[in-house]
Amino acid sequence: MPDLGVGVGLRIPHYPAILGSADDAPPPGPLGVDWFEIISENFMVAGGLQLHNLERAMARARLVQHGVSLSIGGTEPLDREYLRGLKALLQRTGSPWVSDHLCWGSAGGVHLHDLLPLPHTERVVKHVAERARAVQDFLGVRLALENVSSYLTYTASEMTEWEFLSAVAEEADVGILLDVNNIYVSAYNHRFDPNTYVDGVPHQRVVQMHLAGHTNHGTHILDTHSDHVIDPVWDLYRRALRRTGPVSTLIEWDDDIPPFPELVAEAAKARAIRDEVCGARAA
Amino acid sequence: MPAPPELVALQSFLAGAFRREQPIADDPEVAATARVHVAGNDRLTPVQQADIYREQFWSRHFDALAEDYPGLAALVGARAFDDFVTAYLTACPPRHPSLRDLGDRIVAFAESWQGFAPVTMGGDPPSPPAHRAAAIEMVRYENALVDVFDGPEPPALDAAKLASVPEDAWDRARVVLAPLVVRMRLAYPVHTFRIAARAAADAGDPPPPAPAPRSVCLALYRRDLVVTYEELDPVAFALLEALAEGDPLPRACERAGAGLDDDATAELGAKVGVWFQRWAALRWIVDVALD
Repeated sequence: MPDLGVGVGLRIPHYPAILGSADDAPPPGPLGVDWFEIISENFMVAGGLQLHNLERAMARARLVQHGVSLSIGGTEPLDREYLRGLKALLQRTGSPWVSDHLCWGSAGGVHLHDLLPLPHTERVVKHVAERARAVQDFLGVRLALENVSSYLTYTASEMTEWEFLSAVAEEADVGILLDVNNIYVSAYNHRFDPNTYVDGVPHQRVVQMHLAGHTNHGTHILDTHSDHVIDPVWDLYRRALRRTGPVSTLIEWDDDIPPFPELVAEAAKARAIRDEVCGARAA
Repeated sequence: MPAPPELVALQSFLAGAFRREQPIADDPEVAATARVHVAGNDRLTPVQQADIYREQFWSRHFDALAEDYPGLAALVGARAFDDFVTAYLTACPPRHPSLRDLGDRIVAFAESWQGFAPVTMGGDPPSPPAHRAAAIEMVRYENALVDVFDGPEPPALDAAKLASVPEDAWDRARVVLAPLVVRMRLAYPVHTFRIAARAAADAGDPPPPAPAPRSVCLALYRRDLVVTYEELDPVAFALLEALAEGDPLPRACERAGAGLDDDATAELGAKVGVWFQRWAALRWIVDVALD
């Protein structure tokens, strides 16, 4: 997979800074980021302003699709209509890979719109891997599965989360979107060593990394994407980069969204760390 | 390969537990089952861990509906809106991958919902039935806004094709309207109330008074990517309705003009020409079909 450099999530409050104020406005200045990640479901629509802005964003930088509703760990049949919509969007964006989460999000015909953790068992590995292979084959591009932040663990689990993630990726032959902040959050919530997690995944399968801020409630951390990346997460990022080499990296910021320059500054920090660990290079 | 049955059972249980309105701890049976499946730790019990996801279910979906239905919230007040959303999500749990479709059954649900109570927001409070009718109209209106916002772009009217329609063919020609022109008969001007309510919210002011009854024939549409509306003359609205139902132009004019006095009927021909020009310019008319 190509290394796209450092990107940020494309979010509506930043459209004026990224796209300019109108169609005929002069192009805004340098972006300060190398690529954008979009939430696929927000653009799986028939027309209107969202698709118009998508086209304008594509003129500014490369886009990568990131979904939240695949429910790869669900037990209902894969949603073919959803997958067709995802594929149609892929044809529009030319996203070099497509990602979603290693989780479940729907059951009994109900979409919970959440990224719910799975029990880490051999049988679930096989179940998820079979579905992931089918999705990747259907879409025709690399599928990358992201480790989620979780707030509970299951009594039925037979292996660690990183063993589960690794087993699914290997069995399905799919990529990994390594969310370094999610590792930190889950490590805090479930009292494991985040370094062991980072060391334990198959690094050659990591096609992208996520970085974000979170909210610590004392008893648990919520993955809110509402703040700066904290230093321990930057340290984990360094550790991951030493193992993966330069990998496309994305700053997520979805709540209490700051002005675009502040987000760009966070991306610049990620770029500096990449350069520090992997050597300076043009994205 | 079928899904592992233990995974099916686990997800079925949790999907129900996470959608509970009340904390999981309040139901001993659900709490006991949660303790079987969820490990917990020294900071949070299994039930507390599971309840994090339950709280997120409600906050996420409440926020999504509050974003799409701000006019309703302003009209009925925070408590009634909260009750309505809770009842809706309980009766009609989300069934689509995108939050954009969260309101897929909200109009029908609102029509059956008896919980819209009158609120005083300055001026005299409306009577309960009137208040309920305005609330239902607001739900219909805001639900239509969602569809018009990201519906498919209508094709442009082919002027050459229009010009090539033989004069004698207009008796049977059907005017094809853009699917994104939503026609609504309203008993309350909820469209202007919504604008005023949003302006008040932006300014940090309380919501405006509930709207007084006023009959409105409204066309909601999208122009240059922006969702907008136009209040129509009732006869123009009736004509548009007849055209949308597939009537050829003469028949549609006949239906729209039913009940008009002689003078008004005589003026109708000239008015129709003006209306057609405007509707074509607004891209409400996208084709003319000759059967």
